[in-house]
Amino acid sequence: MSRLHDTLSDFTYCIITGLGLSDETTAVCPNYRIETALDIYRNNYRGNLHDALSHAYPVIEQLVGKDYFRYLSRHYVDRHPSVSGNLHQYGAEMAEFIAGFESAKGLAYLPDVAELEWACHCAYFAEDAGKLDVMALAKIPQAQYADLILNTHPSCQMVRSDYPIASIWNAHQPDADGDFHVTLDGIPSHTLVSRKDHAVKISALSEPEATWLAWIRSGASLGKSTDAAVNQCAAFDLHGLLLKLIDDGVLIHFTLRSTP
Amino acid sequence: MNNRRMIAAAMGSLLLLGLASSSAMAGDKPEMEKCFGIAKAGKNDCSSNKSAHSCAGQATKDRDPMDFVAVPKGTCERIADGQLKKM
Repeated sequence: MSRLHDTLSDFTYCIITGLGLSDETTAVCPNYRIETALDIYRNNYRGNLHDALSHAYPVIEQLVGKDYFRYLSRHYVDRHPSVSGNLHQYGAEMAEFIAGFESAKGLAYLPDVAELEWACHCAYFAEDAGKLDVMALAKIPQAQYADLILNTHPSCQMVRSDYPIASIWNAHQPDADGDFHVTLDGIPSHTLVSRKDHAVKISALSEPEATWLAWIRSGASLGKSTDAAVNQCAAFDLHGLLLKLIDDGVLIHFTLRSTP
Repeated sequence: MNNRRMIAAAMGSLLLLGLASSSAMAGDKPEMEKCFGIAKAGKNDCSSNKSAHSCAGQATKDRDPMDFVAVPKGTCERIADGQLKKM
């Protein structure tokens, strides 16, 4: 390996771990002692990653407070060095990390809120897509409706939780009035994340709605997906769900299953 | 077969609504083209302007929080029964 490569590797190791440069590495810094210069660099590295996490997880930060969030994020940064030049991709493992973080274990809903926040973060940066062409859909013969395959927007994600994470998330948005009452009722929740134009939106799905959309997203036909939802709950409202999903820009495209 | 009728009914009224108000649906151009590189509102990608961690590197020591912050002290206190163990 080249000398430059070794030096850069050594430097990276030093920034990530906080341990010193190896004796073989020569470094020159005109304004500070080399240890001080490395401390500054390392501090900026970790500070920027903390800020990236704070931007991706604003609800978690409010839930636990800024000081604790900094404490949490410092440990996260130590465990998960940045591996991408794109800071928007930093923080994907937060839900899992929080679940294993000893002093946060009392807040059992926290990992699921983090999962929802990451879904929203990814939805914001997901690719654009067109809208469902209703005129084209109108040309499909009724007898073939059950064979329709519906595609969802790249931003679309579903988060299942044992906790009311959508209520918790909504209570911490900038336009919330700050006076919230959330009770953990033990009822499982399904939260849909989507994006229309530039705005990320979350909404609650009922159990059969979540089942239907999960089947659709797995590539199942409209007929099969509807059967699955109705089997779960006879009162499943397909019409209402289709309207909502098209209005929210979740359903973007359709094809007909080639084999009958 | 009932489900087939449900699908036909749902699609039928969907199409009626959709075609009647076609301005809101098919073929619309997005209101704005997405511009990659624009950060979320109020967030700056490299957090350079209002952060204590600007590239000027004025801080020489890590601002590692002390042990006393190792207790969450935010709005989580207001979630009823929030301290329940995992279900």
